Amino acid sequence: MEFKDYYKILGVSSDADAKEIKAAYRKLARKYHPDVNPEEGAEDKFKEVAEAYEVLKDQQKRAEFDELRQYAGKGYQNFEPPPDWQGGHQGAGRSTHFEGDFSDFFNSIFGGQSGGFSRTHSEQGFRGQDVEIELPVFLEEMVQQKERSIEYQIPVREGGQVRHIPKHLKVKIPKGTSDGERIRLKGQGAPGAGKAEAGDLYLHIRLVPHPLFDVNGHNLVLTLPLAPWEAALGCKVTVPTLEGKISLTIPENTQAGRKFRIKGKGLPGKGVIGDLFAVAKIVMPEDIDEESRDLLRKLSEKSGFDPRQEWRKTS
Amino acid sequence: MIATSMTVTLDELCQYEQIETSMIVEIVEYGIAEPLKGESVSDWVFDSTSTHWIKKAVRISNDLDMDWVAVAMVIDLLKEKEALENENRRYKHQLRRFIDAEYKSQP
Repeated sequence: MEFKDYYKILGVSSDADAKEIKAAYRKLARKYHPDVNPEEGAEDKFKEVAEAYEVLKDQQKRAEFDELRQYAGKGYQNFEPPPDWQGGHQGAGRSTHFEGDFSDFFNSIFGGQSGGFSRTHSEQGFRGQDVEIELPVFLEEMVQQKERSIEYQIPVREGGQVRHIPKHLKVKIPKGTSDGERIRLKGQGAPGAGKAEAGDLYLHIRLVPHPLFDVNGHNLVLTLPLAPWEAALGCKVTVPTLEGKISLTIPENTQAGRKFRIKGKGLPGKGVIGDLFAVAKIVMPEDIDEESRDLLRKLSEKSGFDPRQEWRKTS
Repeated sequence: MIATSMTVTLDELCQYEQIETSMIVEIVEYGIAEPLKGESVSDWVFDSTSTHWIKKAVRISNDLDMDWVAVAMVIDLLKEKEALENENRRYKHQLRRFIDAEYKSQP
């Protein structure tokens, strides 16, 4: 077991006073708190800092730790507490929410019989942890309400160790769920200790980008490519929706970026159904044959249109 | 098939997070989360997204020893960050449909 130098973890000297220790903890906790810092490794770092503070803020624990630190000398790598060590007079208080995640080192010196895990109460044990996972969902699944299976891992505690075991579930995404929403599955999180309830599973819904449709709330946005002459003269186009195809009339003189609203062809929401918006995009053909080129040349000669009129006003 | 649920009651929340009702009342007063329904406090029901933010708020308040005004500000900013990230992702995706991803310079 590795000896953890809590002073080093908090970046304070061994004769730091309570104020310095608190200030160091606050600074590091703010930096690494997993709710604020999404970077990988931040949570582990936070736990380490919280553990160090747990010990150093408490006079008695700090004194015990100082004693051990002296005993360890420079042999930090393979540290064993002295055989007659009687630490852990008071168990660990409930200071952070990351219960039961104290290091082996901490548990061996302060855990006593109670261990780091059993600080939250009662004979019935304690409720299992909630688990939150991101669930990528295809657009079609939101509409068709298909059953799908999910796989995730739940932390299980065995003899003071946390192990992750895989779990399998079948779920149906409720109608009206939107991107970014969280769905609760009661009792599908980590198992509780003893007779206590299991935690819940939260599914954080993440829409998988669709090849055709973008999602904006309950509305769908579709890019509608038009040839320049279709935009100029107007036309009828067949537009794909999530459920079959529909016909759309494009009026003459349609500008790029113009939106056409197709009512009720969006995503089902809570009590409402979103719309589908087709946004015009003018597309040039990759190759233009000689005949078309002649026609365009004629148009160019005849047309008095100046697309850069705006520039003239300002320069 | 597992039943999904979109809501959590006040009692459940207090029990799971081992917090007092008064703490949730405070969280609601500071606008960190809003109950979905419930006339009186004891009838309050929260959706899963509110629950997520309440849990975050409780953790931040405990672990960082911050007062509720500060926690509310942090949560507001985190919510805004999440919304902006989503919006940004959406716009980037949409933009790619209209313009070339790569900038082609003129010869």
